Amino acid sequence: MTKLETTLATLLADIGTFYEPKKWHFLTVNGIDLGEGKIELQWIFSKYGVKDEIVIYYALSDYETPVPSLVSLIPSAFMGEREIVDMFGLKVDGAERGLYLDEDSLQHPLRSES
Amino acid sequence: MKKTIQIPLGSQHISLLEPIRFKFECENEKIIGVDADVGFVHRGVELACTRSFEFKQVGYVVARVCGLCAITHSLSYTLAAEKLLGYEANDRIKYLRMLMVELDRIHSHMLCLAHTAENAGFEALFMQIMADRELVMDLQEAISGNRVQFDFIAIGGVNRDLTPELTALIHKNLTLLSEKIDALIGLFNNNWSLSLKYKGVGVLRLEDAYTYNALGPLARAAGLATDVRVETSDFPYEDIGYTMILESTGDIHARNFVRLREIVNSIAMCRNIADNLPAGEILEKTKGKPKGEAVVRVEAPRGELFYLVRGNGGNMLERVRIKTPTFSGIPAMMEVFKSSEYADAPAILASFDPCMSCTAK
Repeated sequence: MTKLETTLATLLADIGTFYEPKKWHFLTVNGIDLGEGKIELQWIFSKYGVKDEIVIYYALSDYETPVPSLVSLIPSAFMGEREIVDMFGLKVDGAERGLYLDEDSLQHPLRSES
Repeated sequence: MKKTIQIPLGSQHISLLEPIRFKFECENEKIIGVDADVGFVHRGVELACTRSFEFKQVGYVVARVCGLCAITHSLSYTLAAEKLLGYEANDRIKYLRMLMVELDRIHSHMLCLAHTAENAGFEALFMQIMADRELVMDLQEAISGNRVQFDFIAIGGVNRDLTPELTALIHKNLTLLSEKIDALIGLFNNNWSLSLKYKGVGVLRLEDAYTYNALGPLARAAGLATDVRVETSDFPYEDIGYTMILESTGDIHARNFVRLREIVNSIAMCRNIADNLPAGEILEKTKGKPKGEAVVRVEAPRGELFYLVRGNGGNMLERVRIKTPTFSGIPAMMEVFKSSEYADAPAILASFDPCMSCTAK
C-alpha cells in the first residue's frame, strides 16, 4: 500500500495526472475523523492484474472546506462522494445529501463529535 | 424536444429481492435517464464497529452486514485485523477459509440464477435451483455449524476443523451438485425464453466497464480481466485450480454464463481443498491490539469487497470502512439501463445480482 499526500487545491491535478482508467481501478472515497474538526480524506485505487498494488491519495481537511468532485475524471466517484456528504456532513461539489440518510437530515454519524 | 415520462421501479417490486428504487426517465419504451436510491436498509454498521464493539467482536458484527456473503465480510475484517496484529495464518487456515468463501460463491450464484429463472417466468426451475442450492447450504451448516451467519472465521484462524466425515460429505454433495449444474448449463445454453433471448440485452461494453469501474461477474462478462483472487497474495488460489472466467459480450446471457462457469470452477477448487488440506493448527493465539492502518480486498460473489481498518493500539478501532461490490457496481448498472428498453429492466436488474443489504450496510 502506497500513501501519497495531496491537498484539496491540487487534488484534481494530482489525480488527473495519475489516473488511467485501463490501468487503475478506482475503489472508493473514504473519510476518517481525526477529532477537533479535522478529517482525513482518502481516494483509493488498485492496479488491474497486479498483486497487492494499492495507492491511496490522502488530504487533510476540515468539515467546512468544500471538497472538489472527481466525477469529471472518474464518473463512478459520485457514490463515494455522496456517502461522505451523508456520513461526515461535508460539502462535495455536485454531490447531494440523501444516499443513506434523509435529504433534510441534520445528522453526520461518522463525525467524532456526534 | 420529445416528451418523456418518469417511471419508478421499486422500492418494492416483484423483480426485487431487496429494496432499491430506480427512477427511469423514458422516451416511449426507451430508458434515457436513471436515478437510483439505495439507502433503504442503512443500519450504521461502520459506526457500530467503532463505538459499540471491541476489535475482537467486530468480525462477528460485520458478518451481519449481509446474509449472502457473511463469510467474505468476516474474512475481510479478520484479515485486516490480523495484518495490524502482525499475524499471518498458516496454510491449513488459509485453505479452510478459501473453502468457505468458494462454497459461499456457489450458493450466491445459484440464488442469482434462480432469480433469473423466476424473472423469466420459470417458477418450477426457480424452485429446482433453490432445492439444489440446499446441497451447498447443508455443507456450510455441517462445516461451520450454521446455515447463514457462520461465525466460522476468527482472528487467528477458524472455529471448526474438517473431519474425514465432512470431507466425504463435501465430495458427495459436490458430485451431486456438478450433475445439477451441468444440466443447468444445458438449459441456459439452449432455452430461448430463459437466456438466449437476452443475448444483446443489457449490454455493458468493455470500454464502459473500465470507465465506470465495474467489478466482479459484471466486469468479467464484459471481458474485463479483473478478479481479486489473483490480485492479492492473501490466498494461494493458483494452487487450488483457480481459473478466471471471462465472456466478451457483456449482456445478460454473458453474466449468466460467467456465474455458471464460476460455479463449476468453485466446485473443482472445493474438491481440491478437501483433498489437499495442509497440516496445522486451525486457531492460533494472537497478541497485542491493532495499531496502524490496513487495507484488504476479497473477491465476494458479486465482486471486490474492500475493508480499511485503522486502530490506535486500544480495544476500540478508529475506523472501519466497508466498500461493498454492489455499491461500486451501481454506476455501471445505471449506464447499462440508459440504452435499454423499460420492459427489459427487471431482467437486467436480476442479472446484476444487486445486494442492497451490503450496499446500505
